Amino acid sequence: MALEDYRSDMEMCCRCSICKFVPLEKLKEIKHSYVCPSIARYNFHTYSGGGRVNMGIAMLEKELEYDDKLLEVVYNCQMCGACDISCKYAMDMEVLEPINEIRIKCVEDGHTVPVLDGVINSLRKQGTMVPGAKARRGEWAGGLDVKDITREKTKVIYHAGCRVCYDEDMWKVAVATVKLLKKAGVDVGIAGKNESCCGGRAYQMGYKEDFLNQAKQNMELIKKSGAEILVTGCADCYYAFKVLYDKFGLKDKLEVLHTTEYLARLIKEGKLKPARKVNVKVTYHDPCHLGRLGEPYIHWEGKPVPGHIRVFDPPKEFRRGTYGVYEPPRDVLKSIPGLKLVEMDRIKEYAWCCGAGGGVKESNPEFARWTAKERIEEAQSTGAEAIVTACPGCEQVFKEAVKENKDSLKVYDVVELLEKAI
Amino acid sequence: MALERELYEALEDIVGPEYISEVPLIMGSYAQRGRPRFEAVTLPKNTAEVQAIVRLCNRFKVQFKASSTGWGAYGDAGGPGVVKLDLRRMNRILEINEKNMYVVVEPYVIGAQLQAELMKRGLNCNITGAGSNCSALPLAAHQGIGHLSVSGSYGERNQLALEWVTPDGEIVRAGSLGSIGQWWCGDGPGPSLRGIIRGNVMPLGGLGVYTRAAQKIYHWPGPPTFPIEGVSPHYHPSHIPPGFMVRYISFPSPEKLNQAAYKVGEAELGFIFMGFNPAMLSANIATNNNEDLAYMKQFTNLVKGPGFLVIMAGNSPSDTEYKKKTLQQIMDDYEGESLKPVENPKNAGGFMWRFIRVTSSIREVARASGVFAGEVGGTDVFNLMHQYILRSSPLKQRLINEGRLHADGTDPFVQSVEHGHAGHAELLIRFNKQDPESMKAVAEVVMFANKTAIEGHFGVPGHVWGNAAHDQYGPHTSNYHLWLRKIKKTFDPNTASESTNYITAND
Repeated sequence: MALEDYRSDMEMCCRCSICKFVPLEKLKEIKHSYVCPSIARYNFHTYSGGGRVNMGIAMLEKELEYDDKLLEVVYNCQMCGACDISCKYAMDMEVLEPINEIRIKCVEDGHTVPVLDGVINSLRKQGTMVPGAKARRGEWAGGLDVKDITREKTKVIYHAGCRVCYDEDMWKVAVATVKLLKKAGVDVGIAGKNESCCGGRAYQMGYKEDFLNQAKQNMELIKKSGAEILVTGCADCYYAFKVLYDKFGLKDKLEVLHTTEYLARLIKEGKLKPARKVNVKVTYHDPCHLGRLGEPYIHWEGKPVPGHIRVFDPPKEFRRGTYGVYEPPRDVLKSIPGLKLVEMDRIKEYAWCCGAGGGVKESNPEFARWTAKERIEEAQSTGAEAIVTACPGCEQVFKEAVKENKDSLKVYDVVELLEKAI
Repeated sequence: MALERELYEALEDIVGPEYISEVPLIMGSYAQRGRPRFEAVTLPKNTAEVQAIVRLCNRFKVQFKASSTGWGAYGDAGGPGVVKLDLRRMNRILEINEKNMYVVVEPYVIGAQLQAELMKRGLNCNITGAGSNCSALPLAAHQGIGHLSVSGSYGERNQLALEWVTPDGEIVRAGSLGSIGQWWCGDGPGPSLRGIIRGNVMPLGGLGVYTRAAQKIYHWPGPPTFPIEGVSPHYHPSHIPPGFMVRYISFPSPEKLNQAAYKVGEAELGFIFMGFNPAMLSANIATNNNEDLAYMKQFTNLVKGPGFLVIMAGNSPSDTEYKKKTLQQIMDDYEGESLKPVENPKNAGGFMWRFIRVTSSIREVARASGVFAGEVGGTDVFNLMHQYILRSSPLKQRLINEGRLHADGTDPFVQSVEHGHAGHAELLIRFNKQDPESMKAVAEVVMFANKTAIEGHFGVPGHVWGNAAHDQYGPHTSNYHLWLRKIKKTFDPNTASESTNYITAND
């Protein structure tokens, strides 16, 4: 697919501005009623989902010159998909897909952001999206008794992800995950220093070829390992393996699970029994790539039916965020004795983004933190002592925001709390 | 045509460099395709900034145009040389006066936000029928008539005191705001100007900028938040709050429908009353176009003729009982029949909330093809408005038969305002904007609607704006167009307020 393939979707935009707000049926108060960080921060219509698809048409019509402003607008977006979901409450049109294609077109036309080029260079050289040597990727598992999938066959692969592997503060989440899986009797292995970036963020930054290279390499490694299930605690990785690999016909029969999905399953089966009390009041942040963007990819090929209403043959089913991963993380939290879960105003398919996605944390860290602070404020308004998430990207940017604001709110991964309870 | 540097820099000084742009990329997103672009877009934060921008534009003899949520092309530039005021930073609810039942809002507060805040306090507001994604300012939408107008009236009558930056940059505080600094009355003590600033439809950006306004609000007999569950687009309430009931009732003829509608009004049964046809219902419940077509077929086969949707909200168990019994009596008297899929508890709550929150107007008009058009009646006697739109139905049917318009039925959608005190009707058209024949068909409907309105003495419909339309209607309607021009000339001596969609001062 290319930007041109989404022309008719983009032409459907009627400029109703619904892409700027949470789905209106769910709007509970004025305070947390906006859903798109980009338009909320930068205000000009161009930064909204509607503004962006308008830009897409202008690009196809060659009405726009590539310049710094165009790239600034294109890349000040977390690719969180909130606009897409709000729009599709009412409309049958793609929003996030063409926005992604705009980025791919920018890269293909040779117009990129230097800082993101740097990230991609790291990916090409070291197989990681964050600075770090390939040889150090597996250090987090030092001393952990876990299979190396490059040497032994395994049923389940745990993929830690770049943001965990190169951030010592995050290692504890990966270690806890492996320990919990082993405790439940899961035949789990890791790739250690041979693990490589999923490529998902590269794709969302517009570097499609780099993504495909990563995907092909990863699937080769996974196939050799004989694994049937891939488990990851990173929402970006989850989205890549589950949705993007499938989109490009690379996933094969691999079952992709987020750690919270697998842990919820193990708890339900009685293989993990949270027994210790963890007396804390928490609120859960839905990572965009696990929640609204985490629903399965829907393959479709067809053509529009001529007429006055936009229908297709065969009928096209749009991904509207309905089947994202919302309950498993909540189920895990609810299984922990003593833990009280309270919800924020913006949750599940209309959750406010953490700010880290789409390359924004790298290209505009101030905007990433601004977005995170909005979420921290929302979390605090619930009276929770901690915000819990299920993605290292979210956790990192939340911690930065909390530190910068000198807030007392604690930030956890779901796994950390479950580990305390077992 | 770029703005003079001196003007641009002065605008930048007013709003700050972060809140002004003139780059083509930004300008492009503020213009519908093929339409003129603005020279610069500004994002003022308050009335003082709006006033300063307006005064500058007057000084530099440059036109300006403001809009809030900006759905539709009314907010676009009519030609070159226009500065945009995007009011999205003016987004506060300034006051909710529970005791005196009014609210004061800035232009970028949307209907859903205002309603959500009001419901927490046992109150509710009218929401424009275009949807709760639109501005809640009672002067933003072109008439401000909506689903709730049967019990919550509409823009013109709800509007209380207001603040207006006139086209030449004066700040006018109309109604009680102008004399005692309070918002509770639109007409005094102090200047009213209600007719001047509103007209039949709003000036659509052509007569200065409305920066704050108060509006009347109403009692809400429901819960602080409607108990909506599920994940988009499959939202549904966990239960229907006590006292609420939704029905779609069809009748054997338009005459029976009208008589029943009057009775519903007399008995003050309606919290919402919309004379939708089955196509509007199907678009409302359907989560995609394929479902829409299937529901439309199902509903069309089940109704016995034209119908209306009514939502009742009882204020007490006895009030609820009264409303139920009275509705049944009216149905019996006029051979009304309830559409079972709407009654079905699985669907009823969803219908109810989508209509109360007015979330589905986009589904109903834009999802089919991204565009819609139609004949928008005025606001007058309920039956008169119904008859006006009925006259155009055969034409629409012919165009459907010719394959030039979407086959979504030809019954007008007619709505009751203030329990039948007035009515408003429309004939919506969905069509393929890529098909020239379809575009021509739309033009035919509008031309016929105008001819019908003038020859049939149906008054000035809501789709009349711009010079050509006013000049067509004015001579048949007390030469109102001459007065409208005088208003424009008087208040906009420098023709600074871009008024393509209102009226220009040309003689």
